[in-house]
Amino acid sequence: MSELDMTAIEMPANDLAAGIDAWRDRARGWLGSVAGRFGREARHGLSVEDDLALGRHYLAARFDAGFAGINWPAEFGGQGLSHLHKMVFETEEMALGMPSGYFGISLGMPVPILMRHGEDRAFVKERVLRALRGEEIWCQLFSEPAGGSDLAGLRTRAEVDGNGWRLNGQKLWTSWAQYCDYGVIVVRTDPTVPKHKGLTYFWVDMKAPGVTVRPIKLAGGDSHVNEVFFDDVRLEDSQRMSPVGGGFGVAMTTLMIERYIATDSGGFGPHLDLFVDTARETEVNGRPAIEDGRVRSAIARNHAMRAGLDAITTRAMRMMQAGMEPGPEGSLNKLVSVRSRQRLSELALDLMGPAGLAFDPHAHAKEDWAASWINAPTGRIAGGADEMLLNTIAERILGLPQDYRPDKGVPFNQIPA
Amino acid sequence: MSILHDEGQLAIASQSRRVLDARMAKDRLLGLLEQVGRHDQVFWDTAIEQGWTALAVPEAHEGLGLGLIVLGLVAQAAGAATSGAPFLTTGYGVTRALIDGAAPDLAAQWLPRMARGEVIAVVALAEGNCVLPARPAVAFADGRLTGVKPAVTGALAADLALVWASGVAGPVLALAELAGVARHPVNSFDNSRLYGDLHFAGTPAHVLAQGDAARALADDILARMAVVTAHEQVGGAEALLYIARDYALTRKAFGQPIGAFQSVKHRIAELYGLVEIARANAIHAAACEGTAEFALAAADARLSATEAYDTAARDCVQIHGGIGVTWEGGLHLHMRRARSLAIEQGNLLFWEDRLVDALIGDRA
Repeated sequence: MSELDMTAIEMPANDLAAGIDAWRDRARGWLGSVAGRFGREARHGLSVEDDLALGRHYLAARFDAGFAGINWPAEFGGQGLSHLHKMVFETEEMALGMPSGYFGISLGMPVPILMRHGEDRAFVKERVLRALRGEEIWCQLFSEPAGGSDLAGLRTRAEVDGNGWRLNGQKLWTSWAQYCDYGVIVVRTDPTVPKHKGLTYFWVDMKAPGVTVRPIKLAGGDSHVNEVFFDDVRLEDSQRMSPVGGGFGVAMTTLMIERYIATDSGGFGPHLDLFVDTARETEVNGRPAIEDGRVRSAIARNHAMRAGLDAITTRAMRMMQAGMEPGPEGSLNKLVSVRSRQRLSELALDLMGPAGLAFDPHAHAKEDWAASWINAPTGRIAGGADEMLLNTIAERILGLPQDYRPDKGVPFNQIPA
Repeated sequence: MSILHDEGQLAIASQSRRVLDARMAKDRLLGLLEQVGRHDQVFWDTAIEQGWTALAVPEAHEGLGLGLIVLGLVAQAAGAATSGAPFLTTGYGVTRALIDGAAPDLAAQWLPRMARGEVIAVVALAEGNCVLPARPAVAFADGRLTGVKPAVTGALAADLALVWASGVAGPVLALAELAGVARHPVNSFDNSRLYGDLHFAGTPAHVLAQGDAARALADDILARMAVVTAHEQVGGAEALLYIARDYALTRKAFGQPIGAFQSVKHRIAELYGLVEIARANAIHAAACEGTAEFALAAADARLSATEAYDTAARDCVQIHGGIGVTWEGGLHLHMRRARSLAIEQGNLLFWEDRLVDALIGDRA
């Protein structure tokens, strides 16, 4: 359980269980009442800018309705409830396709860290409230050209400049940076010590002089990620959120804040029902595809896999409901579901044949096989590449050794480039 | 539906694992592989002594009246130990047939003795390569069974068999005593499963269900046995996962533990994923017992458990290198069991079709 969760109201397991059911009903009631304004249908065909604007309205409405900052303390506009309450709400929210995605990173990682480590509490409070209402968005500036999976290999540097710091370098793959007001950033402040030890964590004003954001168009056509350049950007020492040289630890906390989040055993691609429909509407060599053994095998295996992931998630939620810490098996979801979605999408396009060639760059990955297929690789890389997730399972859960790392213990500036 | 095991259930799980760890011996199991018609009496005595034979028998018939959840936990422990006899699963199938069939007198006659472990009961549904043929060749008429049921699990030691047969008006599930029935042993790659052909030649039998009721009951019994078997497969797969992990930590090559090589550690991490998905499905299916979701959940559990155990057997041996393929190393006990359990209660192809039928039926 994270520190933030410790601030939530403690309650006995039985009360929690009853409370959760009532909470779910309340969440469904409210979400249902606004689904016509903000849900999947309302968003259909909107440009990213219009969808984001709708998302900001949705967040304000969510705030006013008392569903914002669910597991955050009341003094920061939160509801003071448990992580489980948050998961329950987000599961319902996701089912209706609400436009909350633009704010997911902002509220999931940078803002909680700001709450925990921000120095100027009045400033922090104002930022948190604005972020909760969708008025401001925060990004997370971690990955770089030289360090993605190997985060500690990053090269962006901050040097002492009077009573503050001067920031130079480049970040990469920063989601939604083009719409962000602030960001949290990990930079190198000492290249003469081993790589993990020379990093420091700051917040940064994305509108400050010297910050340049350039969207990167991805293979599927959308541009939600960016490269961000910093040229002599001034940072006050009050923007520092870790000890000097203690940035890696804070960055790790950021990534570990919520191990269990609202998940999708379909790997954020189409529901299996859509594949069954595709199989019912197509033929293989003149016979109905749904009667083809290869197609049936794919349906059955995917169903079994998704059912298992769903059962893991349900069990984890029950454990939390009973006041227990859920097992580490929740970490399987993204690894297993996204790569399966990739292959299933290929098979669906095969079944459609020439009809599957049509491409709508605005189609949603949960509703369209081509969109699901072309965006699947992003899912297998972002938020931990498959190979890194396998390493994490092997090392953290099974206790297997770390990989051979020639840069271990070597001062950063002496690592062969 | 998904459940958290309560304290009593967890106690049964850890006790069954502890007692089997203490009493099962690899060398004894290896010895059984080259003998046809012998099972591990230590395992079966333990099952009786621990009350596992009584778990699913109703209290009215001197049993404990517990369900699939607890039986599943015991089966998981049995799977981890490559149990030396198949009777827990087969006995459970016959128990359910006696509970749900239309012959209370037979239930009263047999269930207490099965609960006490005095009677070994097996299930003979399959013919050819089909686990549940639409029109079985074994015939039932005038209270007698005629024909051959091939490679029946547990047949070589059984006293009683539940038989899927063709009656005069549709299929029947019939119960036959095997005292006078000819049994032809099958020399198999997993001999403690006691596979044998049962030759019925006018064997007296009692009908438990017929027609559509028999079909529904046979489907249900098969799904229930598949869920028990899925737990056994999960137990075996999990044991192999940790055998592989432990070996990768201790065996060194090129100056480091082989578990430090990604080709090895990722293989083991993948096994972890398969095991946890299969376990979650197995627990979920057991918790769905008696609900409309059960058939689909059983198929999910069976498919993921078979995939997990087969893959774990394949990969654990591979990670061991040469020592993995020796007789004495004993990993082939799991390799054999992974395949024998994959075939008993219906193969992957059968369950894939079952699952899709259940899925499409739901949405029809």
